This record gives sequence, structure tokens and C-alpha cells, in this order.
Amino acid sequence: MATLSLQHIDKIYDNNVQAVFDFNLDVKDGELIVLVGPSGCGKSTTLRMVAGLEDISNGKLLLDGKDITQTPAKDRDMAMVFQSYALYGHMTIYENMAFSLTLRKEDPNVIHKKVLAAAEVLGLTSQLNKKPAQLSGGQRQRVAMGRSIVRNPKVFLFDEPLSNLDAKLRGATRREILLLHKRLQATMLYVTHDQTEALTLADRIVCMSMGHVQQVGTPLELYDSPDNVFVASFIGLPPMNFYDVKVSGNELVGNGFKAALTPEEKKILAAYEGKEITLGVRPENFTEGNDIKVTVTNNENLGMNTLVYGNVGNTGVKVTAKLKGWKNYKNGDTAGFSIVRKHFFDKETTKAIRGDK
Amino acid sequence: MKTKSAEDLYIQKDRMRYVKNSACSNLCYLAILFDVFYFVLLYRQDVETYYYTIQIGASIVYNLIFLLAVFLSSEGVKHYGKNYSLILLVAGAMQVVRIFVIPMRAHNAVIGEATVMSGFTFTKCFIYLAVSAACLIFSAVLNVIRCNQLEAHIKSLGEKA
Repeated sequence: MATLSLQHIDKIYDNNVQAVFDFNLDVKDGELIVLVGPSGCGKSTTLRMVAGLEDISNGKLLLDGKDITQTPAKDRDMAMVFQSYALYGHMTIYENMAFSLTLRKEDPNVIHKKVLAAAEVLGLTSQLNKKPAQLSGGQRQRVAMGRSIVRNPKVFLFDEPLSNLDAKLRGATRREILLLHKRLQATMLYVTHDQTEALTLADRIVCMSMGHVQQVGTPLELYDSPDNVFVASFIGLPPMNFYDVKVSGNELVGNGFKAALTPEEKKILAAYEGKEITLGVRPENFTEGNDIKVTVTNNENLGMNTLVYGNVGNTGVKVTAKLKGWKNYKNGDTAGFSIVRKHFFDKETTKAIRGDK
Repeated sequence: MKTKSAEDLYIQKDRMRYVKNSACSNLCYLAILFDVFYFVLLYRQDVETYYYTIQIGASIVYNLIFLLAVFLSSEGVKHYGKNYSLILLVAGAMQVVRIFVIPMRAHNAVIGEATVMSGFTFTKCFIYLAVSAACLIFSAVLNVIRCNQLEAHIKSLGEKA
């Protein structure tokens, strides 16, 4: 397999629209990197630049230390799996999987061995004589992956491969991709806008917005220590609650509520005494308590958890809380919450406040 | 020349489970092509009204049947249909017979002082029909061999399982 290094990469289109700004990333051998972000953030463009389907305007792309910035896509030894499968409808699954090797005029017996091995890994052996139209979406996506596997590329590129699948199939195929990665120990770049995919698949996540990298880190780092408001709001479902609060002694004073600070939190916010900051609270970091009084507007039972939506008193400041167990709040009820874990962000720069860290 | 190992031979047989029998179907297409060469050449001949008989009408109808039967059989053998070999064998034999029906008789016929079909044209007709017949017979035989190999291979896989 291979290491991949993206150094100061920009993408500027002919009409001077810049899609990617100064992208830097070192992908280790056998690592699964997930590029995540909302639509139009530049993640697919970045992947296409790595694949060689888009020109790199500035910067360098290194594969195993070798500069491949100007190398044509066909010589990069990378395989890409698309959202739309891109299978040939008139060919059987076997022929689809063998196609790239046939074009390279490989020995038919070698092709046969590789196709059968890939089909075995993906559980497609019994489907090899079928046409793509006879398979389900998940199976078709597996065929697309199989077509990549037979090539034994240095890097696998996935461009939102699960977006066309229904929720149940997406979960199953996601687990298959994870197993495949463990089995092949391959270097993979995976693009998705689905944060659940990112959190469950990635060794490291690259969170992007408006063409800029917002944070690179492990899924836990992004969830637990987001670098800025964007990452905090993008990672986590339901998204984090944000409140404008003022640091005042031992407490934070918000619109209609006060939250006590622990000594550690007070230390972190020492430089912000008397100033306004943004307080972030994940829905799962609320528990039933007495710190904030919330007027309930909606109660959604999810089985293990209950999502409670409401406003702080009568202020219109919205609260989404994810409480453990089955709750039965009615619209208009007053619920009392306490905050278990707080995230602090600078109101002007939107960056996380982490004290001396 | 590189000799094939036992593993290569095994894989070659195993490939037949997934790869179409293109060689046999391509031979059928070749047979159709040479038949087309033949009838284009034949129908261009026109000496007096020698060809304007019921015989030429029957020849045209037969050509249509031939084209249809061989094309359908080519699809059949492509998917290792053993029974299609029989159709191809009959069609191949009929191509040989056809040499002696119109071309041979036209070659021997004389109207006034002119020979209806020249020796050169007859030779070309002979070659086209003979090649077409050879392609069909070879395709049929090859298909039977491959079908038998595939049947035996699948049986052995079933026994292993």
C-alpha cells in the first residue's frame, strides 16, 4: 500500500472561483481518512484532484514520496468508487469486475483468479453471472468496490459510495467497507457528508467548510474537542446547542439562564472575565436538573433516549436535549435541565477556548 | 512454446462458468459473413434469364432461414447451449450441399456460347460456401467439446462441495 501527502493544495477554476484553499494532509500507510463537510465544501473536488480527474492549481501531491501532481489519472495507480456505481449494464458482474484488467491485457487466468478472490471477499461469488440490474443497490456498490479491489491499487478513493442506498443498507454496507479496510489494510480516502459514516469509519477525519480544512483529527477528537463552532455544529447528531453567554465570576449568564462554572472551567475562561463568549452544549450533555428551566415544545421518544425540544423560559432561546430513557413531557410543560459538559468558543473568532492548551 | 500447468488448465475450465463462449459465436458470425459474400456474388450474376427460376426464389428464402437460424444459434452457443451445435452442423452440411445446387449447375450450364458462371466466379462461390460450412462445423464441434468440459467441471465442483 502507500502513503499520500497533499501539500498546500489549491483548486482555482477557470472562472477564478476557488474551491479548495491550502489543503494539507499526510495520509499514513493503511489509514482510512474521511473527508466530511456540507455540500459544496470542496471535499469531492479534493478527492478528484487526488484521483487526477481535476487539475491541481497550486501545491504538490506525493504518493510514496513521489510527486504525482502532473501524472495522468490512469498512471496514478488509484481506484475510485463512485456514488452512482458506474457499472456497465450489458456486462455480467464477472465481466464488470474483470473489465479494467482486460483493458490492460492481463492474462485471462490471472484475471479470473483476482475476480474470484475479490468476489469471495465481498460475498458476490453467487452473483457473478448476473447483470447489475438484477442486483440490489448494496450489491451493486460491492461490485463497484470489487472492480477496484481486483486492480490492487495503492490508494482507494470513495466518493460518497453509500449515498444512493437506503438507511438499513447503508449501515450494512458501511460495516462491510470497514471490514474490507481491516482485511486489505489499504490506504483509503473516503468522502461523505454523513457525519455518522465519518465517525464510524475513519481513522482520522478531515472536516471541511467553504474549501478550508477546519480540523483534522480522530473521530473522538472532533466530537470531544472541536476546534471551532463549525466543527462543533457539524459533528454530532442532533447538533450542539449554542448560546451567547457572559462570563461573570463563577457563572455564565445567558439569556434566561445561569450556569455555574467549575474551578477548571473558570481557569480556562480567566482571560474572558466580563466578556461574551459562545457556550456549546451537546444535547446528550443535558440531564434532568434545576439549572435551566425549559418550556417544552416537543418530545420525541427514540426508545433508548428521548429528544426534548424547548425554549429557555419565555426567551425563545432554543434547547435540544437528549435524555436517557423514556420521557413523557407534554407541550408547554416546564422541564429542568443541568449541563454536564460545556464547550467554550470565542465569539469573534469562533475558535475553541481551551485555556492554556 | 509455454506449456500449460494443471492449474492453468483448471482455471481455463473454471473460467467457462463466467466467460461467454465467444469463439463459437464469432465463428457463427464469420459463417454468416461468408454466406453474405456468396449470395451477393451469386445474385449479381445475370446471364440471359438463367437465374430467374423458382430455384433462385427458394435460394433467397433459404438464405433468410439460414441467417436467422445461425444468428440465433450463435447466441445459443455463446451461453454454452449444447443443442445449438446440432443446428450448426445441419446448417454447415447444407452449405456444402448448396455448392452443388446453384453454383455447380450454373458453372456447367451454357447459353449460346456463354458459360452461365465462369470458372473464377464458381471458385469464389465454392470458397465462400466452403469456408462458411467449415466455420459452422468447427463452431458446432468446439461448442460440444466445451459444453462437455464445462458439464464435467461443474459436476466435479458439485462433488467437491
